[in-house]
Amino acid sequence: MRLAAGVDVGSTQTKAVILVGDGKPRILARALVDTGADVPRAAERAFRAACQEVGLDPRQIGMVVGTGYGRYRIAFGHAQVTEISCHARGAHFVFPQTRTVIDIGGQDVKVIRVGPQGEVRDFVMNDKCAAGTGRFLANAAEVLGLELEEIGPLSLRATDPVKLTTVCTVFVESDILSYLAHGRRPEDILCGVHLAIARRTVSLARRIPIEPAITFTGGVARNVGMVKALEEVLELPIQVSPESHFMGALGAALFALERLGLKSESSS
Amino acid sequence: MTEYRGWIHQRQKELMRQWYARLDESARTGWPPAICLMISGNCVEVLEAFGIVPLYPEVNALQLAIRHQALGPILAAEEFGYATDNCAYVKADIGAYLIGVTPTGGKLPRPALVLCNFVGCNTYIKWFEHVATFLEAPLYVLDVPFLRDEEPSPADVAYVVAQLRELVQRIEEITGLRFDMDRFREAVRCSQRVEELWSRIKYLAQRVPSPFDAYFDAITLMGPLYVHRARPEGVEFFRLALAELEAKAARGEGVYDRERFRVVIEGPPPYPYFRAFRDMFARWRATAVASTYSTVGGIWEFGFRHDPEKPFETVALHMLAHNLTNRNYLQRYDQIRRYVQQWRADGVIIHFVKSCRLFSAGQGDMRDYFTKVLGVPTLYIESDLEDPRYFAEAQIRNRVDAFFEALERHKRASAV
Repeated sequence: MRLAAGVDVGSTQTKAVILVGDGKPRILARALVDTGADVPRAAERAFRAACQEVGLDPRQIGMVVGTGYGRYRIAFGHAQVTEISCHARGAHFVFPQTRTVIDIGGQDVKVIRVGPQGEVRDFVMNDKCAAGTGRFLANAAEVLGLELEEIGPLSLRATDPVKLTTVCTVFVESDILSYLAHGRRPEDILCGVHLAIARRTVSLARRIPIEPAITFTGGVARNVGMVKALEEVLELPIQVSPESHFMGALGAALFALERLGLKSESSS
Repeated sequence: MTEYRGWIHQRQKELMRQWYARLDESARTGWPPAICLMISGNCVEVLEAFGIVPLYPEVNALQLAIRHQALGPILAAEEFGYATDNCAYVKADIGAYLIGVTPTGGKLPRPALVLCNFVGCNTYIKWFEHVATFLEAPLYVLDVPFLRDEEPSPADVAYVVAQLRELVQRIEEITGLRFDMDRFREAVRCSQRVEELWSRIKYLAQRVPSPFDAYFDAITLMGPLYVHRARPEGVEFFRLALAELEAKAARGEGVYDRERFRVVIEGPPPYPYFRAFRDMFARWRATAVASTYSTVGGIWEFGFRHDPEKPFETVALHMLAHNLTNRNYLQRYDQIRRYVQQWRADGVIIHFVKSCRLFSAGQGDMRDYFTKVLGVPTLYIESDLEDPRYFAEAQIRNRVDAFFEALERHKRASAV
């Protein structure tokens, strides 16, 4: 049984996926932990948790590829691949017709143009500013006294979305407080927040040609309000997999499986 | 990481030390006099004709940055009132005067003249006005019209030549020195030789593998190019540098054990993180085979040379048309396109400089041109040439790694 793992050490959360690679690769296990301050430990915790889920000894995993900002800090990893390549690979695996990946994570937004084999053709990212990222949504939720999971569904109930004047992660708080002071409803404010992020993401995406099918990945893809806002601004449907949050780790595991195959080919 | 570290780097350090020693001597004894001027399309030959030592504020600024000393002066300038998005070269330079810092710890002279040879960058006019005010030195603004067409008009050339002649008179009045036409011709002749040698060095990067990195190693050569170009020791330096690199090329040696990628780099480097930035490319064994930054002082690889038979005219032509900053964006596109095609590059790296809007503002379109029109893989990254606060190492590394991962897959797929 060929087993490979991908560990995605993100700024907020660390994800691990284990694949079995005999025939068409299949996800055996996945795990998610908060990254916290100890990056190597977070990677190990996520990896071990995924192994435990299916009763595997970590030594049974033939190859581990690390990705995400903490990829070079994964002590037990065999190789590192950027999350840009991994999200493209993972999205292509889940939806082979994917040509554009929009990935919104805790502190960055990436738009990746993908080729027919899941290879990266081009990519654009936000630069040194967390405007319009997951952090922006987290701040908005906090100001409104809501859990992050609540804001997407609530935003769908909006009837008169506000127009946010900023996508600055810091200034959004005062903007929201000002709308609350004017008696605007939280769902209208949240819808405005999601649309502001969507508009910023789409303007970034237009730097590279947006080609359907579009796959939305990263933690923020679990937010239904964000999916709707993106579709509205793009005027195109977008695909979201239940694995969206694990897409980086999944892509890393696919690279690990590929390398395992190359290794066994060269040793046989 | 295997990198080229030969005689050139040692000798370059000695030459730059000698230059700073001359400036220190000038500061202490008043001799030789110094004139402050800018790098882009500089007319160092005119100064050399008088035996005047050039003082380049940009070189001081970048030397502070590369020695991790830029932030103090930048903060001092901001405290003084310069805005956060002002050119960081300006802030480092002015801040250094404010708090009395120099790159080497030696003294810098009060210039006999602040010569603003304004070539393309209008920020320099304000910068040099401020330098002149702080140092209580006279200011001469040499107005070089922006290159509007492929070639400068005869009126443009005549206009700059007239100013150069007036400049000569001003220098004579201020310093009491006499302009020596023979010495001027000799300085121009030295420049002509250096330009020929430098150009041949650049063409060596067309070899596969390239024997040197035409961005990171070229920066090493740029100091002597600007400071010593019009002097015999400059000619000697470039003659030996060419010989060393030709020998390396003849042995088939590249910058790395096995050159994996060839890129063209646009934009100056992040000097405060020069080493870390280079390592990002070294990790992928990616060699820059050409760069636009190495042509800020002059573009010579396409044939232009100073000419001792027409010294004033060719100094004017150099300032008007044969340096990166006085040309328009479409000409820069074309320059990079030629590099990609003739130097056989796999892709283009664009480094956007946050505090230099003038030369970075159009780089988003430049990226589109290379990726969408020419189909050349192009990476766009942002930081700053001087201000360490703009360098986010993890983010830049992520982009560089992703770019080369994609290039590698593309190469592998094309090889099948």
